[in-house]
Amino acid sequence: MTTEIQLRNLQKWFGSNQVIKDFDLTIAAHEFIVMLGQSGCGKTTTLRAIAGLESIDEGDILIEGEPVQHLKCSDRDIAMVFQSFSLYPHMTVYENIAFPLRATRMAKTELDAAVREIARVLQISDLLDKKPSALSGGDMQRVAIGRALVRQPKAMLMDEPIGALDAKLREQMRAEIKRLHIKQGSTTVYVTHDQVEAMSLADRIVIMHDGKLQQVGPPEEVYLHPANLFVAQFVGSPVMNIADIDIGSAGGGAEIRLAGSDKGFAFGEGALSGISRDAPVALGIRPEAVLLSQSNAKGHLPAVTTNIEPLGSHDIVDVKIGDQTLRARTESGFVGGEGQEVWVNLDPEQAHFFDRESGLSLRKAG
Amino acid sequence: MAAVQTTSERALNKVAIISVLIVTIIFLAPIYWIVSTSFKPRHLATTVPPTIVFEPEISPFVKLTLRRSQLREQPTPEEYTAAPWWERLVFDGGEKIVRSGRGEVQLSGYPSRFVNSLIIAITSTILAVAMGTITAYGFSRFKMPGEQDWLFFILSTRMLPPVVVAIPMFLMYRVVGLNDTHVGLIILYTAFNLSFSVWLMKGFIDEIPKEYEEAALVDGYTRMEAFFKVVLPEAATGIAATAVFCFITAWNEYAFALIMTRRDAQTAPPFIPSQVGSGLPDWTVIAAGTFLFLLPVAIFTFLLRNHLLRGMSFGAIRK
Ligand SMILES: Nc1ncnc2c1ncn2[C@@H]1O[C@H](COP(=O)(O)OP(=O)(O)OP(=O)(O)O)[C@@H](O)[C@H]1O
Ligand SMILES: [Mg+2]
Repeated sequence: MTTEIQLRNLQKWFGSNQVIKDFDLTIAAHEFIVMLGQSGCGKTTTLRAIAGLESIDEGDILIEGEPVQHLKCSDRDIAMVFQSFSLYPHMTVYENIAFPLRATRMAKTELDAAVREIARVLQISDLLDKKPSALSGGDMQRVAIGRALVRQPKAMLMDEPIGALDAKLREQMRAEIKRLHIKQGSTTVYVTHDQVEAMSLADRIVIMHDGKLQQVGPPEEVYLHPANLFVAQFVGSPVMNIADIDIGSAGGGAEIRLAGSDKGFAFGEGALSGISRDAPVALGIRPEAVLLSQSNAKGHLPAVTTNIEPLGSHDIVDVKIGDQTLRARTESGFVGGEGQEVWVNLDPEQAHFFDRESGLSLRKAG
Repeated sequence: MAAVQTTSERALNKVAIISVLIVTIIFLAPIYWIVSTSFKPRHLATTVPPTIVFEPEISPFVKLTLRRSQLREQPTPEEYTAAPWWERLVFDGGEKIVRSGRGEVQLSGYPSRFVNSLIIAITSTILAVAMGTITAYGFSRFKMPGEQDWLFFILSTRMLPPVVVAIPMFLMYRVVGLNDTHVGLIILYTAFNLSFSVWLMKGFIDEIPKEYEEAALVDGYTRMEAFFKVVLPEAATGIAATAVFCFITAWNEYAFALIMTRRDAQTAPPFIPSQVGSGLPDWTVIAAGTFLFLLPVAIFTFLLRNHLLRGMSFGAIRK
């Protein structure tokens, strides 16, 4: 159950459509990896390739250092939880969970003990005699996880296992999956397109886009230091503001002018070290780093509010500076209404700079 | 739903019930006729109007299964009382049972035709459903070049009516010595049902999510094991429906059987009408043969009725 998985330079085509591109990733033993990306970016295909359900065109998949890309999936000793759960309808819950063990020709008493133990851990002991069609979504998901765990596989793959559940149940199952992982410690690759799920579960998040790996790192690193424009905009809610800027200098520091605006924000020189002033640069700033003020404090620029989204715990306020709109996060009720004059400043500590053309972050990570 | 019914609704209900009754009677009338005739004494079989109330007797079934001939002279009272009850029934009808030199009764042509029908229909059904299921699985799960063309080709084998194919088949079978053999008809019926079985089963297997097998593959089973342990149980409904259709087709088939069989492998459908033509037809015996012939399909369908109800929707309603 303590297995390292390596993916080396994976390539996969469906016809002329390349679905996985130059994919490199090393998953440490016990690690909980979450693959995050939009629909159609190749998450499922990557997972299926690891499981052996999909062939790969180039590259290596190594489990415990052994290349497995030529092994049948039954020989890889990996368990998978499918998005649709795929519980066998003609078998009881007990038989569903016992099914992987029956493939190993395990002794009856041992098998029975293993099934009952996993059922106890997952709190489904009273469901063992039922058919899957009689279960609720949450229980089906527990059974599916039980079926995957019972064999104590080398690794667990989960393809949006709770995507089909309603929001409340999802939250509950998320906590449960985390608890189970801490208890069992199996190497896990978990696929989702829900960033909250990714943030709360992952040891490391793998962000994919168009079959390409964009960034790998612990959740806070991905959030605080996005490697490129795609990650910056994909992680975090509401979405990070991206604005075209000119960089000038004023008073021994740098001045950040939003495109179409004649005044700028004063940033210390340190915030901009190593960033070329000539190439087109985009500023990325999260709504919580857009600071609003009711009065003209030092360094603030005037702006007009254009839209307010009250979210209970806080408000999201759109402000217009020049011809650019930034979204700011404020206390609830901070701004009275639309069309109001407010003063805006940016937190240089939380500013990100990206190369407009390549999209890559211009700030050194860390 | 026990809500108040308006008068018009109640009237409508009555009309519906009466219509269903009428349709049921119309459909069941011929079957009742056959069944009742097969329990009538011979002289009541052809009365006009038909006799509805009569004392049922089973002499038609005795006459159906045993060889008999016309009585030249009445049996002596000793002969009559010494005869077993079923032989007396035959005497009563003006006939006697033919016995061999050692006094053994002999079976008529019907029992062996019936057994032939059973052997041929059951075997060809098993073969057609088994091969059809495996073929359908292949078409459903794997990509192959020209898949659509192959499927159309398979279906097209069913497009010619049997009578068109029967003569060339007869000539070919004569060369290879398959005329009037069980194997010959089994091959023919299997081939005839196979296209239907492939298409029907493909529909059912397409409905089974392939994640079921993939889960089994990941759980350490080979594809073969996954097929038998996961796909087959899931396809049981479809298999039952396909089997009933294939069995009915093979059981009722007439044209091939008429041309390709004579004695050894002759099935019941061409045999029963041949009895009409021999001498003055005894309709009670023909009705008895027809009645027995109806039974296997009825029993088979009844046994599989739970699967059929779901299967007949061709996978449209699946839970
Ligand atoms: N069997 C297949 N044949 C052809 N194309 C495929 C096949 N499976 C997936 N694709 C394509 O590959 C791409 C990646 O699909 P994949 O299922 O891996 O995406 P995903 O990230 O899991 O998306 P989702 O979040 O919607 O599940 C998609 O464009 C999809 O259309
Ligand atoms: Mg997917």
